[in-house]
Amino acid sequence: MPLLSEGIETRQKQRRKKRNSYALLVGPSVFLYGVFIIFPVIFSGVFGFTEWDGVGIPQFIGFDNYVSIFSDPVFLFDLRNNFLIVAISVFGQLPIGFVVAYIIYRKLVVGGKVFETVLFLPITISAVVIAILWNQIFGPSGLLTALMRLLVNDPRYVFAVFENRVFAMVPILFVILWMYTGVYMIIFIANLQSISPSVFEAAVIDGASEGQILWRIVIPAMTNILFTTSIFAISGSLKSFDLIFAMTGGGPAHYTEVVAIYMYLQTFRFYNFGYGSAVSVVIVALSLGLITLLRVSYKRIEKRFG
Amino acid sequence: MIAHQRKLGIVIVSYVVLIVLALITILPLIWLLYTSFKPHKEIIENVFALPRVFSMDNYQRTWEFGRFGIASFNSIFYSTVATLLTTLLALMTGYGFAKFGYKRLSGFLYYFFILGLLITVHSVLVPLFIMESFLNLDDTRLGILLPYIAFGLPFLVYLSTSYIRTIPTALEEAALIDGASYIRVFWSIIVPMSRPVIGTMLIFSFLSNWNEFVFVFTLTSKATLRSLPVAVNAFAGGMARDFGLLFSALTIATIPMIVFYFVFRKKIAQGFAAGSIKE
Amino acid sequence: MNKLFFIVFIAFLIITAGPLFSEGSSETDDPNTLTGFHYLDQADRAAVDNFEALKARFAELHPEITIEWEYLVNEPYHNKLQTLVTSDQLPDIVFLWPGKRTGNVTGNGNIKDLSPWLEGNRDNFSVAAMAPQGQNGEIWELPEQVTSTHVMFTNDRLLEELGLSFPETMEELIEQGEVIREAGLIPIAMDNKDGWQMQSTFLSALVERTGGMEWYDRAAKGDAQFTDPEFIAALDVIKTLNDNDMFSPGINQAEYGTALTDFVNERAVYLIDGGWRTTNLTTELDDDLKPHISYNTFPDIPNQKGRSGSTAIVTGTGFGMNANLEGQKADNAWKWIWFYSGPEGSKIRKEFGSLPAYNLPADSNDPILLQKLGTFLSETPGGYVLDAVLDGEGMAVLHPQIQEMMFGNVTPEEAAATYEEWVAANDSSRK
Repeated sequence: MPLLSEGIETRQKQRRKKRNSYALLVGPSVFLYGVFIIFPVIFSGVFGFTEWDGVGIPQFIGFDNYVSIFSDPVFLFDLRNNFLIVAISVFGQLPIGFVVAYIIYRKLVVGGKVFETVLFLPITISAVVIAILWNQIFGPSGLLTALMRLLVNDPRYVFAVFENRVFAMVPILFVILWMYTGVYMIIFIANLQSISPSVFEAAVIDGASEGQILWRIVIPAMTNILFTTSIFAISGSLKSFDLIFAMTGGGPAHYTEVVAIYMYLQTFRFYNFGYGSAVSVVIVALSLGLITLLRVSYKRIEKRFG
Repeated sequence: MIAHQRKLGIVIVSYVVLIVLALITILPLIWLLYTSFKPHKEIIENVFALPRVFSMDNYQRTWEFGRFGIASFNSIFYSTVATLLTTLLALMTGYGFAKFGYKRLSGFLYYFFILGLLITVHSVLVPLFIMESFLNLDDTRLGILLPYIAFGLPFLVYLSTSYIRTIPTALEEAALIDGASYIRVFWSIIVPMSRPVIGTMLIFSFLSNWNEFVFVFTLTSKATLRSLPVAVNAFAGGMARDFGLLFSALTIATIPMIVFYFVFRKKIAQGFAAGSIKE
Repeated sequence: MNKLFFIVFIAFLIITAGPLFSEGSSETDDPNTLTGFHYLDQADRAAVDNFEALKARFAELHPEITIEWEYLVNEPYHNKLQTLVTSDQLPDIVFLWPGKRTGNVTGNGNIKDLSPWLEGNRDNFSVAAMAPQGQNGEIWELPEQVTSTHVMFTNDRLLEELGLSFPETMEELIEQGEVIREAGLIPIAMDNKDGWQMQSTFLSALVERTGGMEWYDRAAKGDAQFTDPEFIAALDVIKTLNDNDMFSPGINQAEYGTALTDFVNERAVYLIDGGWRTTNLTTELDDDLKPHISYNTFPDIPNQKGRSGSTAIVTGTGFGMNANLEGQKADNAWKWIWFYSGPEGSKIRKEFGSLPAYNLPADSNDPILLQKLGTFLSETPGGYVLDAVLDGEGMAVLHPQIQEMMFGNVTPEEAAATYEEWVAANDSSRK
């Protein structure tokens, strides 16, 4: 009898030991993450329902903030700018990154590694630095203007695309392309390398052309990764702030504003803390919604073709 | 013959595409580098020209007045400490999630962390300030480090958990039966076996900490706590006034990362690719 | 490997633990260590040299006091200031505006009233500088100068070379535009990326011209509407000039300072900017050009109700202190504030070309542009500056509207209506 109870005790002890170790391993992260992210997020969520200017007591106003957000033309225009960023990621960065990755992977050029190294370089530079650098290129006293003045021989020429409500985002989209295409290239190269080489060898022996290899083997193997990178693109784009903030601050006249800047300005320029919090809730909800949408459609596609 | 011509065509197009992209990438940086040696007047006269003399004047002034010495120290400090701690914590957490079998709890916590990937830094700035001043963490290095760690965790936990899952259980179980503690197993089995992913985690985390801007910009008011990107940004306010200073400030912030990049290029690439490879 | 890693890690923590905490504790303990937040463009050599000279002199006078400075400029300064207030991290010494530009900071009990320290010294300052800043006559910041936010700096030498002279009316100015552009020059150099420049250095003066002080007074008290023809007419002047290519090309993309650079390098005939630019002009202009620079205001406009040649005048900026400071620390903060705007600092600032609010004996050795500014200030009548009498948040509505108007996307009427809508709902003048 004593032997059995001892066994139970040891097992209990071991179970407790396991539980304590788990707590010790996971606890610190959960604590830090909870205190510095989750708690403030909940805080924001609650303040989203109030009107508060930073002093005094917040007033509960229900969904008023959310109604105002979606009826503010500035916010809707900012949202449009965010979707432009999603679009340039999905239809610019992904295809270009893929083409480059494919060229390098298939060794269509000599010195692929050199190109890979160069194209990936911008990712190491801080967004603030990149923004200021490109400002010096696109600005009215910048490189591009100077170049164009020489070319068109008009000393009053200015690169005026920022002044156009419709096209003001173009330089920013270009810089985003410049910054992040290398990342997608790297991701694609890594994934191409995970395709078994024997598949290619077999295809080459069968006399398949470059185009056939691409369409029959590579693209089908990459659908999963296209899905993953699209998620990156969406969540990244709704968060984009640093680059645009340092480049244009959202101006001129809100033309290059995005929702994160809208939130920042509402909070720190207009002192509408409640309203700003509501905007940040909208940002998280939007990216969750879009990603869910993408997931569902991906599952559909997979079912049909997979 | 036709197939051969076609192949040649593809190769030529490939070269054109890569060379054009490479030039677009590298030329602005080269322009930045040589312009940083030109005094303001020379830049105004001709933005394209090479500097007449390579003078370190801009650098000296920028370094002194922008307090780049202390900013560099801070950048190194924040990035290194936050990177080491985040990596360590993420490994511990990954071990817990991957190997302890508390399926429900771990699953819940795991998604709880993954959700963090969607959260904008800016959406927590205001509550974070209020909280930090309440805890007397405002304007301290610790007050910068803790949010850095918290925001670095989601992605690193994702990396470490998926990696540690692939480590065979046999070795670890044998050690446990021999009476080793879980912490012991962590240090002597999990950590050494995770070496490849640790490298990736360290470098990826260092890179994002080094380039972080908003936290330091808004959470600190003292110049002595500033990091490099914030110090550079201080030059951008009315930067039209002295391009020489501006360009040298930009170069100072860029060069260390480019060196870092060339040393750790492979690992950085792995970090970015790691989140996406089919398991 | 993991042992080595561990040892290195612990060693690193120990080495760096010092700076980890010490920064935080120094804030409360030592009364001789202060934090300061200054509005300074670090890439502006003239301003930087000036401030360095001030700091050096202060260190000589008060070697026991250390001030940890942080600098920002333009909108980032104001955004950061608000952030600091919200998070209760306001530095000990801060650079402030007398009016509503920093009203959200000064008006909420964050800043100490300097009046008790100032007793007995008020007479040493120009009368305009001692105007009350708070509702109960408080002085939040000690003004360094009396500022005219609108000066039309003129390069008379260029003007003469082109066979022109300073215009009497706006029509005449617009006619000059063609000649000036023909010569490859910019008629009026201005930059408006941040948006405040057009409002502060131009629109404010224009409103006095189109509406006169009578309308302006009513607007400041909340008794007039911005949809009134007076305000719309002022916006219309900007639009007319813009449509006639009078401003710098790409004006709304240009950082503050671009226009000054153009003017200094004789690529522009006129520069519309604040009187504070005298400091930069004194250091940056070639000495032989300085005598040919004149201080004017915008010429007469059609249907002018206000005074000819008027500008916009505001009590200058200066340093104030955190309301939480007490005892020795507050006295030390005052030492800086008094040093900066009082006799010692004023002397230094004057050498760098700014006209102090503190009455210093006139000196014929003063920089020539400073003498011109002095004459300009004493002879030129002025109205208000919009952002000194209306809430700063509203400026974030008005500024983009002005830019939109210049791009031709909204009419002056629409821009005015949008601003009026905000003011009616939010501005403190209407409450």
